[in-house]
Amino acid sequence: MEEYLISFDNLKKIVDGFIKEGSDVISISKNGDRFVRLEKSDDIILNPEQRPSDISAKEFLFPRTEPIFFYCKQKESVEIIDKEPQKRQVLVGLKPCDAASLGIMHRVFNWDYRDEFFNRRYDNTLIIGLACKYVDDYCFCTSVNISPTSTRGSDLFLIPLSDGRFVVQVVTDKGKEIVSRNSQMFEKADPDSGKAVIDSIKGPQKKFDSKKVKEWLDKNFETDLFNPIGDICLGCGQCAFVCPTCHCFDIVDEDYRYGEGRRMKNWDSCQFYLFTLHASGHNPRDTQAKRYRQRVNHKFKYYIDRFGEILCTGCGRCSRGCPVAIDIGGIVTRIENLT
Amino acid sequence: MGDNNFEPKIVAFVCNWCTYTGADLAGTSRMKYQSNVRMIRLPCTGRIDPMFIVKAFESGADGVLVSGCHPGDCHYTAGNFHARRRWILFRQLLKFIGIDESRLFFSWVSASEGKKWVDVINEVTDTVRKAGPFSDYHRINKEYTLNG
Amino acid sequence: MADLISIVKGILESKKVDVVVGYTRATSPNRTRPIVIRNASEADALVIDSSCLNNLATYLTRKENKGGKVGIVAKGCDVKAIVQLIVENQIKRENVYIIGVKCNGVKKGFEVEDSKVLSEKCLNCNVKTPHLYDELVEMGSDNLSGKDEKAELIAKLEAMSPQERFAFWEKEFEKCIRCYACRQACPLCYCERCIADKSMPRWVETSATKRGNFAWNIIRAFHLSGRCIGCNECERVCPAGIPLSLLNRKMAMVAKSEFGYESGMSLDAPTLIGTYDVKDKEDFIK
Repeated sequence: MEEYLISFDNLKKIVDGFIKEGSDVISISKNGDRFVRLEKSDDIILNPEQRPSDISAKEFLFPRTEPIFFYCKQKESVEIIDKEPQKRQVLVGLKPCDAASLGIMHRVFNWDYRDEFFNRRYDNTLIIGLACKYVDDYCFCTSVNISPTSTRGSDLFLIPLSDGRFVVQVVTDKGKEIVSRNSQMFEKADPDSGKAVIDSIKGPQKKFDSKKVKEWLDKNFETDLFNPIGDICLGCGQCAFVCPTCHCFDIVDEDYRYGEGRRMKNWDSCQFYLFTLHASGHNPRDTQAKRYRQRVNHKFKYYIDRFGEILCTGCGRCSRGCPVAIDIGGIVTRIENLT
Repeated sequence: MGDNNFEPKIVAFVCNWCTYTGADLAGTSRMKYQSNVRMIRLPCTGRIDPMFIVKAFESGADGVLVSGCHPGDCHYTAGNFHARRRWILFRQLLKFIGIDESRLFFSWVSASEGKKWVDVINEVTDTVRKAGPFSDYHRINKEYTLNG
Repeated sequence: MADLISIVKGILESKKVDVVVGYTRATSPNRTRPIVIRNASEADALVIDSSCLNNLATYLTRKENKGGKVGIVAKGCDVKAIVQLIVENQIKRENVYIIGVKCNGVKKGFEVEDSKVLSEKCLNCNVKTPHLYDELVEMGSDNLSGKDEKAELIAKLEAMSPQERFAFWEKEFEKCIRCYACRQACPLCYCERCIADKSMPRWVETSATKRGNFAWNIIRAFHLSGRCIGCNECERVCPAGIPLSLLNRKMAMVAKSEFGYESGMSLDAPTLIGTYDVKDKEDFIK
């Protein structure tokens, strides 16, 4: 992998270039709670010790609400109008848990049906990842095949040096193109320039072996393990909505004025009681325990069955933000302890 | 507002037994009044869910009027008393959100008060016209629309 | 703590209650989560301290808990919710066994930066010792301190023009992701089918557009007017950081000033919107 060195100032100059050419530049907000579009490069915060944002960056590839088409009822017919094309965007400073999630989501959006809404944004997005020095009780990237210095999902990956510069690892051709377009901003780096920093980042201690967890889930669908969770889970959508890999959505048709409306694609959560409620009134997942079982199985079994990937990057957002402090890392660790 | 051609769109939620009849009386008496109001008839002001008021603004109304029987005259005895309680709370909530008394109005108009209906409508229409189009709500209505 | 555990063991063994809802330690030492206990042997897991933030009254209206007798660990603010639920005929007084907590204030949140910060609601608390209980236990003090920034902000908002206020709320509601954590955490949002989930007809736009978010937040604030007891859970659990307590506090102020009404205090109080007074003022009605 090619490596370069860049100063923070030069990095900001490249970002200014993105803004000037009309691309959206997205990075973490000032108070660190979410990702926002930046107006200027000075607003960039690249702090590897920062806690993951409360809400993930997935809304820039999979918006929380998105029009699929508009419709206009006329006398004898309905006219259907499509949305305009996607703008180019750059996501700067994504931790490995966030960068990897986008590639993981890409699998389900290109499976039996190619989701052009996701793909249009994905193809127009450049990801600049940032190595992570943050650890708390809730993150477990190292248990789900990711690490704080993993380049998975990034086009360019930044490793912070103590002098304020960054080692830039060129991960993909998209990233290579950015380097050659801005070659005067980069210095060639000696091989393994970032090795010392990478070696010093330990990341969270491995909590569980995901293979063993899957083995248990394969054999124990009818389990009482999730009953205590079902007792306390409120059934809100917090965990699914802040998660960088959760991708379930609902489709609704809405008239916004008489005769004119839109079909919207909105985030949905398997924890809502409405999620599997049939029109007949029957609900196959009629208890909160069954709904939580679904969440764990989808992430740690079904997605692996289908795509060979864990539908979780161990960012810990769901557990930090859960109103009743349900900790999915803790639950999955307990599952492994049963094997 | 500089737009001299602005004609406000006003939605009036009225009760069937008093205000609607009063408005009818204004009509049969051939009283003239501004024609900006779209009336929605309900059996009683007690039926009016504050959500209807929100929906009216979502549908493009610049002003909303809610009108019913005088206290004590409700056809269903106490519907307007319940409604009055709701309005005391709801108008404060809307005011706190930014929808104040230049957009939301309440009145008691009885079946015989055709003249009062005319006065109320004219006053409400003038107030809303002066306040201008409800651009705040129009702006949020326009999001994710064909011409928004 | 031993007090609490022995009380719970006692009421479970004597079958005074079928289940007990309390708090237990969560993953980090500064967090707790709710726990539902069915056997006396499980009671050793119970704790009570300043990280016991949840309003457990929200579990009283769950279908599975409605039939039987439920023991509940409740701080003053939680007891207000229980009282309001009884007033609204959602639970019967004889079916809830209240283990009241003499509370010294709880933390603002679970994150590290909040571990010494007192929740804003605690600064104005008038129920440090709950006003209704069957047993009373103590919560230790953690010397928390905090500022009430909301009172100032409410005054600031009231002084703004309507357009400025609207712009303020537009910026806040834009962040809403419609996760409904506020609704689910609220003890007084107990409708089996929330109006926001109703289609045919669709009253509240489900999409997280500005318009939909305005409708959702306005309607929820209105449905809680005169009922909200100010536990602030909605604001605490909101992942988007929307200052929901501004709306609820404002409406509580209106209920107080217009009707002299405070929710959740008296079992004999009427509900605010369920009743009326022929003398309710109507100076705003033409």
